[in-house]
Amino acid sequence: MNERSVVGKPLPRVDGKSKLTGQAKFTTDVVLPGMLHGKLLRSPLPHAKILSIDTSKAEKLPGVAAVITGKDTWGIRYGFVDTPNYPAEERPIAEDKVRFIGETVAAVVAVDPDIAEDALDLIEVDYDPLPAVFDPEEAMKDGAPQIHGEITRTTSCAWEDWGVARKSHSYTPVNNIAAKVVVSYGDVEKGFAEADYVREDRSRSPGTSHMAMEPHTIVASWDPFHQKLDVWMNHMAFELKRYWLHKTLDIPITKIRIHKTYIGGAFGGKAPCFDYEVIAGFLSRKLCKPVKIELTREEVFSSCRNSHRFDINVKTGVKKDGTIVAQHVKIIVDAGAYKCSAPVAMFLSHAMCDPCLDRKNVRHEGVAVYTNKNFNFARRGHGAPQMRLAADSQYDQICEDLGLDPVEFLLKNLRKKGDVIPNGDRLDSYGLPEAIKKSAEAIGWKEKRGKQRDKNRGVGIGINGMFSGSGYWPFACAAIVRLNHDGTITLIEGDCEFGQGADTAYSQIAAEAVGLPLDDVTLISSDSELCPMNYSNFLSGGLFVGGGAVYNAAMDLREKILKVASEAMKAKPEEIELKNRAAFLKSNPKRSYSFTDLMRFHIQKHLGDPLIGYGYKKAVPEIEFYPSLSKGTGRFTDAYGFTASTAEVEVDRETGRIKVLKIVVADDCGYEINPAAIKGQMVSQAVQGMGDALYEEIMDDEGRVLNPNLVDYEIPRAFDIPEIEVIDCSDYEPKGPFGGKEAGECARAAVISAITNAIYDAVGVRMMRVPVTPERLFNALKAKGK
Amino acid sequence: MEGSKKMIKVKVNGKLYELLIKPKITLLQLLRNELGLTGTKQACMDNSCGACTVIVDKMAIKSCSVLAMQVNGKEVTSVEGLASEDGKLTPLQEAFLEFSAFQCGFCTPGKLMSSTAMLEEMPDPTEEDVRRDMEGNLCRCTGYKQYLAAIMHVVQKRKEGSK
Repeated sequence: MNERSVVGKPLPRVDGKSKLTGQAKFTTDVVLPGMLHGKLLRSPLPHAKILSIDTSKAEKLPGVAAVITGKDTWGIRYGFVDTPNYPAEERPIAEDKVRFIGETVAAVVAVDPDIAEDALDLIEVDYDPLPAVFDPEEAMKDGAPQIHGEITRTTSCAWEDWGVARKSHSYTPVNNIAAKVVVSYGDVEKGFAEADYVREDRSRSPGTSHMAMEPHTIVASWDPFHQKLDVWMNHMAFELKRYWLHKTLDIPITKIRIHKTYIGGAFGGKAPCFDYEVIAGFLSRKLCKPVKIELTREEVFSSCRNSHRFDINVKTGVKKDGTIVAQHVKIIVDAGAYKCSAPVAMFLSHAMCDPCLDRKNVRHEGVAVYTNKNFNFARRGHGAPQMRLAADSQYDQICEDLGLDPVEFLLKNLRKKGDVIPNGDRLDSYGLPEAIKKSAEAIGWKEKRGKQRDKNRGVGIGINGMFSGSGYWPFACAAIVRLNHDGTITLIEGDCEFGQGADTAYSQIAAEAVGLPLDDVTLISSDSELCPMNYSNFLSGGLFVGGGAVYNAAMDLREKILKVASEAMKAKPEEIELKNRAAFLKSNPKRSYSFTDLMRFHIQKHLGDPLIGYGYKKAVPEIEFYPSLSKGTGRFTDAYGFTASTAEVEVDRETGRIKVLKIVVADDCGYEINPAAIKGQMVSQAVQGMGDALYEEIMDDEGRVLNPNLVDYEIPRAFDIPEIEVIDCSDYEPKGPFGGKEAGECARAAVISAITNAIYDAVGVRMMRVPVTPERLFNALKAKGK
Repeated sequence: MEGSKKMIKVKVNGKLYELLIKPKITLLQLLRNELGLTGTKQACMDNSCGACTVIVDKMAIKSCSVLAMQVNGKEVTSVEGLASEDGKLTPLQEAFLEFSAFQCGFCTPGKLMSSTAMLEEMPDPTEEDVRRDMEGNLCRCTGYKQYLAAIMHVVQKRKEGSK
């Protein structure tokens, strides 16, 4: 193909005009005739038996259409991790007991949201409080309150549906342990014995909120004549949400349609199945009316998924020159009341480390523990930000102890391009070395590191690696590209648009492949009924897997057009180029046929075939189903993205306040399909990472969230933003569409440790618990007498 | 219930409406639920995020914290009222597009309204002024950089144009 004219350009987003004029339809904007509104009654207690629920007064309130409780949805189970070993234990409405403050105990549906809200006050619930436990380490002790009894499977899980033979079984968690992970390679004891220096440190990353701007919302509409459920919802992959609705409501999967809406931010927080989604579908079917449930901001904070709190103990052995020879990681994940993605988070905290540095002998142990709190899910990096804080802070300290330079330390321990890492993944692209060097250079590392303490200023560095999709149901993406009458194309693919720019990037890929300008692409996306199979827009697999399927489909159409052009022009396909809705001879551009003519020609000569391209891609071709989460064996992903970040901060010793002066993000996301979108992803992660490092923490008192609003839960504002420099360190990824791979998740983790390490450089106090609030830093400075 | 409704007269995006409304509804609810103008977004309902910002008589205000009754006799502009009816975007909308100044787009209408009002009020703001003025508009996707650049681009263009 010729020089690229559509990909690699910072073209305006295809969803731009809709979003800038108020025309873009979000789920919160969906209104259907006769639509009812649902509200949820939530538990005020962290752990209690439900003795009885009296809904009679609520049912009598004029305008109330129905009230349901756990009796109506008894036995329905779902979960993000739902495997033979770990059957799902989440439920739409609490049954015999509640396990956290904010758990749904009843749902009301009424003609307007105010009446539904009023009716909640009329529901009488008689609770018998149980002892509760809020700290994972307390919860693991013998004699701690047991949050779950026997967990029994009520339906088959995705594994069984897929044909994996293993039968699932019931299990009873012991000491509130929801899941365990042990990944091990090499000989850790031998490694430590060979080390010249060993350090052990402990870090904590708290639970944080994704804080997507659009509150979680669904509209579900049951059509009794066709026995079909139409759904508009906040999601990150229609296939998964449809699968869960199908399983929980026992509706055939193709009798559920997820319609396209724009999604007002996600960051991981909208991917799993939620109680309110099952409830909306259940109520709509019960009443044969559309039902909308729009959560409040407080509900999003206290009853929707937040990120996991990780307590990490990391022990690392190094040679005098800084070569890492062994690492032993012990993680305690605060799962909350249900396990959701906790088993995955523990595994990913290892899996994202492995492509970055060669640690030689590794043992990575994780335990996820039930507590009587709201439960958690992936947030932009899923386990990696927590692990990077632990590892990068410790590397920084090891360098301080041994008189080494942290940049040199990282460069010394790098893997190499082409390396096959212990699980079998190969690093075909590996831009991390360049990213480390360039991010250090851009912050003025050599001139500044360790030399500005008199000014209370410091610089720090952090790194990260991130997968480009992995084995997850339904494992594959497909796309279709139609040639239209006028020579334009229609791209049909399933990925959803939640801000990351999928609609634009995929349209660019298709346009480029067929030699059309971006405006010549009509997009049909994110609709379960119109689009072919779709894998997901989380797991950082969007562009690599979904975009890869689009690339393959568009290239399929390209080849078909070239073939018919070569037939019509009596020339070889390689002598022909496609541009501006026409095929022409490279040697004589005046000889050309329009796509319209070629399509007509093909229809006449080839039994009516109007030229349609079809393509697909599997996330990881070499693995059959899922990588083993508990053992970490087997191929995991086909390409990794990488980031190195540096930061410069200034500390006010009087107040403990930290001012971030500059953040550098040097990222390897493979070929940049849309550089403006990539820059947006990097700046976004720099700012989110700054929020994590300095401000953000879900705080609770005995399970009650203390800051469930945007006044008390602080996120960075326009005025807080430092200078941010984004450096493109792309390494061409041979398996990615035009060489592209992961871009949206990697950088956040690197920024967090860059900032905390910069704080150390500024004042000589190691902060291994984020956020580093002024109070925490002030107290740490005081304790150290600094 | 009907008896408790009150009449208001309000001009929204240049159109005059006479409406019978429940006195307790907010301006945000008036726009979204009564007039079907869903471009204005509800994200926090406690005056803290700015997604619901509209312009009332040249002032940017958060429509979730104003009662509809309070705009009786006033002129309201929402995001739907920015571009011309035949589809011509304002310079700010053009700049947001050019600078990729939005991602998910949920807070974007609020940002556009705040910055439109600010540029009306301040003839020549510095970037510091803009950052201060936009502090009430939270955004989780963009990290603010690209939209601050878009606004400064419009300021610069305007300066050049007035020379």
